[in-house]
Amino acid sequence: MNEDKFPGHNFLPYLLIAPSVAVIFIFLIGPFGQSIYESFFVSTPFGTNTIYVGLRNYIRLFSSPDYLNSVTATFKFAAFVIIIGLSISLAIAQLLNQRIRGVGFYQVALIWTYAISPTIAGVIWASMFSPATGLVPYIISKLSSGYTLNWMTNGQLALFIVAVAATWKMLGYNIIFFLAGLQNVPNEFLEAARIDGASSWKAFWRITFPMLSPTTSFLLFVNILYAFFQVFGLIDIMTRGGPGNATELLVYKLYRDGFIHLNTGSASAQSFVIFFVISVVAIIQLRIVTQKAIYSR
Amino acid sequence: MKLRKNFLNILILTLCLLLSTGTVLAQPVTITFWHAMSGSRLGVLESIIDDFNATHPDYEVTPLFTGTYAETLTKYVTAYPSKTGPNIVQVYEVGTQTMIDSGAITPVYEIPGMLGETWDWAQYVIPITNYYSVDGNLWSMPFNSSTAMLYYNKDLFKEAGLDPNKPPTTWKEMEEYGEKFLASGVVDHVYSTGWPDWIFEQALAIHDHLYADNDNGRSGLAKKVVFNDDFGHMIFDTWTRLHNKGIYIFGGTEYDANSAFISGQIAMLIQSTSSLAGIIKASEFEVGTSFYPRFEGYPVGNSIIGGGSLWVTKGQSEEELRGVWEFLKYLGQEDIAIQWHKGTGYFPVSGAALKTLLDEGWFSEDQAYLTAFLQILSGRRDTAASTGVRLGPFVAMREDLVSGLEKALAGELSPKDALDEAAEKMNLKLKDYLELYGQ
Repeated sequence: MNEDKFPGHNFLPYLLIAPSVAVIFIFLIGPFGQSIYESFFVSTPFGTNTIYVGLRNYIRLFSSPDYLNSVTATFKFAAFVIIIGLSISLAIAQLLNQRIRGVGFYQVALIWTYAISPTIAGVIWASMFSPATGLVPYIISKLSSGYTLNWMTNGQLALFIVAVAATWKMLGYNIIFFLAGLQNVPNEFLEAARIDGASSWKAFWRITFPMLSPTTSFLLFVNILYAFFQVFGLIDIMTRGGPGNATELLVYKLYRDGFIHLNTGSASAQSFVIFFVISVVAIIQLRIVTQKAIYSR
Repeated sequence: MKLRKNFLNILILTLCLLLSTGTVLAQPVTITFWHAMSGSRLGVLESIIDDFNATHPDYEVTPLFTGTYAETLTKYVTAYPSKTGPNIVQVYEVGTQTMIDSGAITPVYEIPGMLGETWDWAQYVIPITNYYSVDGNLWSMPFNSSTAMLYYNKDLFKEAGLDPNKPPTTWKEMEEYGEKFLASGVVDHVYSTGWPDWIFEQALAIHDHLYADNDNGRSGLAKKVVFNDDFGHMIFDTWTRLHNKGIYIFGGTEYDANSAFISGQIAMLIQSTSSLAGIIKASEFEVGTSFYPRFEGYPVGNSIIGGGSLWVTKGQSEEELRGVWEFLKYLGQEDIAIQWHKGTGYFPVSGAALKTLLDEGWFSEDQAYLTAFLQILSGRRDTAASTGVRLGPFVAMREDLVSGLEKALAGELSPKDALDEAAEKMNLKLKDYLELYGQ
């Protein structure tokens, strides 16, 4: 009981947690409340005039084809980054978890992408695919006798390349965790399975994969956050949302509307929408996936 | 306990010392200046400021690079309510109406009067000051002004069997030359542009065609855009056709196309004149420059100004304002304007600087630097359409135009539909702006 721990000081526990609570209120809850409030207004950039518009910012969002495109693009992007990204990472981690010569080198070589800043990664990928001077369009044009691969005028291609870049960028992080997870799978189980005549494919799906589920669900969560929020730098460097809004993901659109177009009302409404979507995803995640994860052996 | 007492004493002494130096030594007045100049321009700007500080001991201008133009404007907007903004801020030409409506600035034409001076504004190059003037009064100090022109690779022209002294003057010729280039196999694509939104504005302005109503937003806040007529559709049609033929390759929204031109991947480039110094320095071929291509048979207008200008924050002390004014005058000074022009390719703002450059043979040494002047001084400047566009939500509107063009080029929409869709989105933004500014 708390009273026993702090005899005679009923308020001390509250005092002790006050700093953290204050930080959370000042930096998280406060701004959050303010942005909900602002989402019902439009105002001039310098705040010289503010008009209450009710739900108009929200109605505009959902009736705007651009915003709906942005939602679709975000989900496509997130699906690619999460599903393809995690599958490839798991496959690579499985390969790295073997006794082969020079495994340390391979491990480092595949993990270091995580250490690259989004800016550098963006510049590398953008220059690789630059339509007029990039290496990849050059090779493709030589191989196909003159086909121009121009992602600056092909929205789906641009989204695909950005998604590949984002997946590549996250690969290292995913591999580290999968590798750690794989190394925690007790070898006796796998040996026992092998003695019973299970193929390595079967052993993987029946033993390794279920035992990895805490790692997988953790990575799933981190990758969802990554795909929704942390790809800003990559997009800003590579495409700035173009061509024709094709790579304008939700979080990037929010930034442009709020900080470039100085339209705080719409940006606040967008931030609330993203908050809502992410909350739903997080709840589903925690309810279903984590409950199914096997934490005990 | 003793330690704490000592510490307190030291603290008090330090404070006294700090306060006394302020009164004993005459500290120079600090003028903060937020700007968006990066790359080679930064070095030129910094050396100009260092010289100013050395020659003006009463003032200390402290420049701060605050990111891109858009980021600089955002920082200024957020700093304004807490009065932590700079004395001077550089804003790009698209932000002009935002600044005029901000209530946060002192128009530069009022400054000499506030300090008991008179000033002759006609000493600056008129088409440039016109852009930043409201009812004939200059609101911001032109600093880095540019316009768009055609760059071409003379060596590639020779290789393709074309006369290097005959660059295309019309869009029809752009197409003919383009076809010859493709047939010769010298290049895979013939031309690209920077800033497609601005290049579109130029196409309207040089044919004296309005972009928006209310005289391009210059005689009152614009209510709608007026470019989506036959002429506007023709521009989009032409660009899309050239793109589909492989002549035009889309080169991003700012300066990405420059590298393709410099490396000889494309033969022509329509870009800001401010890239001139950089392109000449970086390319190994002979660079030619010429006027922005025209559509034959349409009226003559003028190419318009882009770049940035300097805005002065309202509510400064007289001392600060005097320093700001000294600095602004200094930038317009003949030798400084020349230094700025030679280092960057931006227009020198003063007419006197122009004459000196001419006299010392700068233009005959490299005629490429002359093109921009001839272009801007040979056009008309008595109409709103040829002076430039001023719209409140211009930054966001330009993006609508670029995504419209991108959709047309990608074949997602027909050029006409793409332009109409862009116009519709832009009109909604204008309507919202009018609502906020109560008209």
